[in-house]
Amino acid sequence: MRKFTLFLALMFCIGLQVALAQRTITGKVTSAEDSTTIPGATVLVKGSAIGAITDADGKYKLTIPKDKNVIIFSYVGMNTIEVTLGEGSVYNVALSASMKELEGVVITALNIPREKKSLGYSTQEVKGDQISTIKSDNFINSLSGKVSGIQVKKTTNMGGSTNILLRGNKSLTGDNQVLFVIDGVPVNNNVTNTSTQSQGGMGYDFGNAASDINPDNIESINVLKGSAATALYGSRAGAGVIMITTKKGVTAGENRKKGIGVTLNSSVTMGFVDKSTFPTYQKDYGAGYGHYYDGPGSYWYIRDVNNDGVDEQWVVTSEDASYGARFDPNLLVYQWDAVDKASPNYMKATPWVAAKNGPITFFNNPTTYINTVTLDNASSRGSYLLSYTNYKQNGLLPNSELKKDNVLLNATWNVNDKLTASGSANYTLNKGLGRNSTGYSDNIMTSFRQWMQTNVDIQEQNHMYFDTKRNITWNWADPTVEQPIFWDNYYWTRYENYESDQRNRFLGYASLDYKILKWLDVYGRFSADTYSELQEERRAVGSIAAPFGIGNGPDGSLNRSDQSSGYLRRDITFSEYNYDLMANFNKDLTKNLNLKGVLGMNVRRTNYNRLISATNGGLGVAGLYSLQNSIGPLPLSKELKSKVGVNGIYGSVSLGYKSLIYLDGTLRRDHSSTLPVDKSKYYYPSIAGSFVFSNLVKDSKWLSFGKVRLNYAEVGAGASFDRLVDKYDIITPFNSPSVSVNGTKQNSELDPERTKSIEGGLEMSFFGRRLGFDLAMYNTNTINQIIPLAVSTATGYTYKMINAGNIENKGVELALNATPLKGKHFKWDVAINWAKNWNKVISLTEGVDNLQLGSYQGGITINARVGQPYGVIEGTDYVYLNGRKVVDATTGRYKKTTNSDNVLGNVNPDWTGGMNNTLTYRNWALSFLIDVSKGGSIFSLDMYYGLATGLYKETSYDNDLGNPVRDPIVWLDPNDHTKGYDPTSGGFINEGVNPDGSENKTRVSAANYGTFGYLRNPDKAFVYDATFVKLREISIAYNIPASVLKKCFITGITISAVASNPWIIYKKLPYADPESGLGAGNLQGYSVGSLPSTRDFTLNLKLTF
Amino acid sequence: MKKIVVFLITILIFSACTKLEDLNKNVTDPTAVAGEALFTGAQKNLFDQMINTNVNNNIFRLFAQYWTETTYTDESNYDLVTRTIPDNHWDILYRDVLKDLDESGKIIKATAYPADGSAAGKANRLACVEILTIYTYSVLVETFGNVPYSKALDINNLAPKYDDGLTIYKDLITRLNTAIASIDPGAENLGDADNMYHGDMAQWLKFANSLKLRMALLLADLDAGYAGPLVKDAAANVIASNDDNAKIVYLGAQPNTNPIYNDLVASGRHDFVPTSVIVDAMNTLNDPRRQFYFTLVDTSSTATPALVYYGGVYGASNDFTAFSHVANAIQVPTFEGTIFDWSETEFLLAEAAARGFEVTGSAEEHYNTAIRASITYWGGTTADADTYLANPAVAYATATGDYKQKIGTQMWIALYNRGFEAWTEWRKFDWPVLVAPPDALTALPLRYTYPIEEQTLNGANYHAAAAAIGGDDVTTKLFWDKH
Repeated sequence: MRKFTLFLALMFCIGLQVALAQRTITGKVTSAEDSTTIPGATVLVKGSAIGAITDADGKYKLTIPKDKNVIIFSYVGMNTIEVTLGEGSVYNVALSASMKELEGVVITALNIPREKKSLGYSTQEVKGDQISTIKSDNFINSLSGKVSGIQVKKTTNMGGSTNILLRGNKSLTGDNQVLFVIDGVPVNNNVTNTSTQSQGGMGYDFGNAASDINPDNIESINVLKGSAATALYGSRAGAGVIMITTKKGVTAGENRKKGIGVTLNSSVTMGFVDKSTFPTYQKDYGAGYGHYYDGPGSYWYIRDVNNDGVDEQWVVTSEDASYGARFDPNLLVYQWDAVDKASPNYMKATPWVAAKNGPITFFNNPTTYINTVTLDNASSRGSYLLSYTNYKQNGLLPNSELKKDNVLLNATWNVNDKLTASGSANYTLNKGLGRNSTGYSDNIMTSFRQWMQTNVDIQEQNHMYFDTKRNITWNWADPTVEQPIFWDNYYWTRYENYESDQRNRFLGYASLDYKILKWLDVYGRFSADTYSELQEERRAVGSIAAPFGIGNGPDGSLNRSDQSSGYLRRDITFSEYNYDLMANFNKDLTKNLNLKGVLGMNVRRTNYNRLISATNGGLGVAGLYSLQNSIGPLPLSKELKSKVGVNGIYGSVSLGYKSLIYLDGTLRRDHSSTLPVDKSKYYYPSIAGSFVFSNLVKDSKWLSFGKVRLNYAEVGAGASFDRLVDKYDIITPFNSPSVSVNGTKQNSELDPERTKSIEGGLEMSFFGRRLGFDLAMYNTNTINQIIPLAVSTATGYTYKMINAGNIENKGVELALNATPLKGKHFKWDVAINWAKNWNKVISLTEGVDNLQLGSYQGGITINARVGQPYGVIEGTDYVYLNGRKVVDATTGRYKKTTNSDNVLGNVNPDWTGGMNNTLTYRNWALSFLIDVSKGGSIFSLDMYYGLATGLYKETSYDNDLGNPVRDPIVWLDPNDHTKGYDPTSGGFINEGVNPDGSENKTRVSAANYGTFGYLRNPDKAFVYDATFVKLREISIAYNIPASVLKKCFITGITISAVASNPWIIYKKLPYADPESGLGAGNLQGYSVGSLPSTRDFTLNLKLTF
Repeated sequence: MKKIVVFLITILIFSACTKLEDLNKNVTDPTAVAGEALFTGAQKNLFDQMINTNVNNNIFRLFAQYWTETTYTDESNYDLVTRTIPDNHWDILYRDVLKDLDESGKIIKATAYPADGSAAGKANRLACVEILTIYTYSVLVETFGNVPYSKALDINNLAPKYDDGLTIYKDLITRLNTAIASIDPGAENLGDADNMYHGDMAQWLKFANSLKLRMALLLADLDAGYAGPLVKDAAANVIASNDDNAKIVYLGAQPNTNPIYNDLVASGRHDFVPTSVIVDAMNTLNDPRRQFYFTLVDTSSTATPALVYYGGVYGASNDFTAFSHVANAIQVPTFEGTIFDWSETEFLLAEAAARGFEVTGSAEEHYNTAIRASITYWGGTTADADTYLANPAVAYATATGDYKQKIGTQMWIALYNRGFEAWTEWRKFDWPVLVAPPDALTALPLRYTYPIEEQTLNGANYHAAAAAIGGDDVTTKLFWDKH
């Protein structure tokens, strides 16, 4: 028995092949160019599955069966060498760089692998390990800075949606989000946030569905940027495609021996609030809106709450601003905590001081645990991979968490030489609890950033809630009325009024590939992406009233009535089915001429159903969240049943001449269900060419590779569901049936949309690949767009569906790779991505020069205005005279324009870029990524209100005379203002000129709320530069050397430490992350009540055996 | 290979058998409805907009200085931009009222009614649609001045031009005459689809004539010769009792509760208090309606309560608990919403008489009836009214000032809770004297500025209209506002 155990251990440690071994060889693999060692090269016994991988020093050791004598040495990007064994036992090999392999093979549209050099369009690849390093709830976030031309905007919302754009906004009002394709199967990336939420109203960010993709399962990502690259995907890929290849079962490889491979990957992440993205409060003044109440200085409520016949001096509990009395530790006043009997300070006066524990103490350190176990294997008959991931995150806010369970099974079976069957099943259970409210209403962050008292100690609120489980707020309507007015106890909000959601998702396919001839195979596949989602919102009895339930609009989120308790649920089911059939051919016509092609068809059916139901008028039984617990009759549910179908037929032809010139052409015909019958079929072509000129220059010392490429493509697209026939809205009956004309005028004459793009590129690498670049330039025009044009409501409608518009996106993208240093054990790689996109609205429709995309609180609108970039921010501006701001000579306040159509900025960055450095030394690897977004504007509603309510430190300082700015204006002679100000005067002087052109000298009083904020300043004052420079990630990884593990069944150990977003190096937007927004979508450039960003630190352990 | 052929055929069959475009069918919303249902919706929307006190939609109670805000005093200080209030007023009236009425009219016209099948029944229905349409346009003109009219409600014209306010107004009166003439009180009607009069066409006639009276009088300063005959014509059959009031009775459950309930009670907010402007005025007159308008508040700092009616300072920040509140009866969910009443009609008749237009009865008689109508409507007794009218400061003969001051002041008191009408009558009479608060962004508004949306969506016509009326400012006097 003991022997048997030993035998087993032996088998695990050195593999089964030992038993058959006859002799052992050793050696070293080096590079032919610079003699550096090559770790990770494959050494394989020809005609067997026996092999080894070179270690960090390029060394290998291999045992050869008796009957074998040919060894294959291979490495990515190198020419493969076969060596016939002689007598010796040491075989050192030098591999030379392969021109063919150098460029590698990439997965293109429809999952067709192509040699990268043959492509006439731009693609960029990211390896899976670069994605999975950062443990984020949404893998898309990890792409930021790693691909040129991609714009990733990660919100700070827990599990929130990430806005991802490639080459700018192309569609005026449609989906500009990139299409995700996993192993050839398109994946739904819907954002189910309400329309109100996206405009800054109340709601939650439920994330985008692509976040169900498990980063640990990703082998590689290939980004198809232009229309030529995506033409075969048809309509839906107009905004670009991110192709994801998942991991498959493999045979021997690096740190991987034969047999079942087991990988364990465990990580823990902890986040810390980045304080530069959270307010810095003034600490001088407390509750109030000014001095108009009662008592000393008119800052107080004077009430006899305890009925002892003597009035007490109360803090103005009902006021959610900090423009009250100056703090004074010697002053004892009755505060919010003196109201309720359960409070230790009940009917006790306490010192009037700034809170010891400010809002920053409200946040938890978010922790994330991710554990993945993967089993895989492969043989000549097939392969499989089974993986399970458990994800758990405790959020930044109290009572918030995200959980995911993900199972993936990928399997391939070679039925015979000709027939291969493959399948994939991926199930995800995604659960969210207590997502943060976004936008203006009922969002704790809006209180922290806009409406609050600096004297409120958050931890005391915490204790009061947990001691009583009641809504004991700081914001009593009045000390005598124990009832909240605007803000509940924040902990009450988090623990009682929480949302929850759950999504069950299945994604999978089954396919057959039949090789009819050597050059022809037929491929058929059925794939399904389906999920059901339940979103539930709660409002506990005893909360303040807020918009809740079902209002107007398709998703019932508009004009909701105020309700102080309630329950709402959204039931969403989604399914997409794709039926694909493809014939692939690949034939060398002559020695120098190769013809490749695809002929195929795709049938797609998409169903999206949503049912929204809610209680009305409150809950009958407190704490019971169900529809039947409604006090009032249930409001009309909102029901949506949408079905979309597209039948596509396509073909592509590629001609290759001598590995020198390649020509590609594609043609696709789509038949879309959403267009009028006579316009529902449309064709679109693409043509691409590439010329590998380096093949003409033989034996160049410096030029390793060079290629120019050029392409032109058109892509057509149908409408969204139900855009052709007019409909009516049924509204709640008022004694008799009641309906209204739907606000959108439909259009039964819609044409398909069309995007036309031209793209050119140059790709070169030098000095044996030590330096290389890929330059792309493009011009895309999206025309005939199907848009709901916002129209003057004097037409009777809000929107009209039309075909219109021409948006132009021109851009340059540059990807630069360099290896500045490379030694025996040391290597330094740099990858730089840079992209600039010029976006312009060329035209809309006749007589219309502006398309309003969104309208926000503050009178701010986001627009597509002819002649301007997409997404200009408009609002009120200063009045200028000779370029200087005009100040009213009487009030000293800035004059504002009366019109609100002044362009104040635009949401698009001037350019984006990233620089990634990777340093490797023996088994150590260090990398860091700097991510830059230059330019663009963002409007801050937080500053708009928060400066008005006196929260920020900018609202309390010593003025030019050395006096507190909030002190009153004091004249030398109150009856003769020409004598000027007394040296004790408060207030400040706005920089600018009076209407007559003279320098402004009038002092503004800052004694009352509003002065610094929205009341007295135009919108322009709150538009900030959205530039940021971030240290996006630093990671350090250590691979335990194989030599250490020699005697163990574990074959690989990698330990890594990663810091994600550790440092915002530069930003202009005060107290918030310029990336934080409301969520994904076309409406960006508006900052309101966002969570602060966190610096996340991860420890990761990966074991393979 | 065989299997693949089967697979291929399956797909071909699947795609061949379905007519793809059939998928694009909306199976949850109607594509055809009854005109009556559209009327019901439009009428409710109109009432909600005229009655509510949501700071995003309707701030006319502030303009009339009946109420003021406690903490967030932006709207009391005439900030119309932050909450895009003109946009909301405009959107609701055009899109949610006029468009639905327009569609309702079109459908009713095209409907073949089976029962008593008379043309008169259809004409009655259409008259109701027309009268509410005219009413709504009159509100738009009185709010903004020039507005889209002849080219409005046409989705094929995305940039509707603005018509001259006076031209619109006169056309509305012409249309009103036609509508009045088309009514046959004995014939079929909208029945319960009409929540205002439940199809009582005799009352619709009175409402239409009262509206005509009001519209004509608004033009009296501009063109008395035009207004006089219209007033005479209308005065013969106007609202003659509180039963004739143009009102709807709200229901107990949201969203069909009185919007005031939503804004003041359901919201849980303490945003408004009555102003010292109206409270002091009514205190001086010892007005019997105070108990129906306001609550009492204890202003004593001692244990002995001193319950008084005490109003907040208009436009200033006000401590909610320190002042009288809006009376509870006004805040109940089922409180009726009114857009025209007997008292208002009688004041208009008083004005007509005072102006020397040909109406039955003297200015004083109508003035007295108006005050009685108001007091009894709110719950006072005839004795209360008699006492009040006996007050020399109230009595028509002895009250201060000319007829504009007398009628203007009393009408303002009577129109409490009817912000829009009060603001319009104030602009016409220039009484009572209202003063802009010290922190106001502008002088007292004489109109709404045009919606921001119109600047961005209908720019050229917006700029032309702004120039035509003398600038898009709140202080621009509208065409009828001659004093």
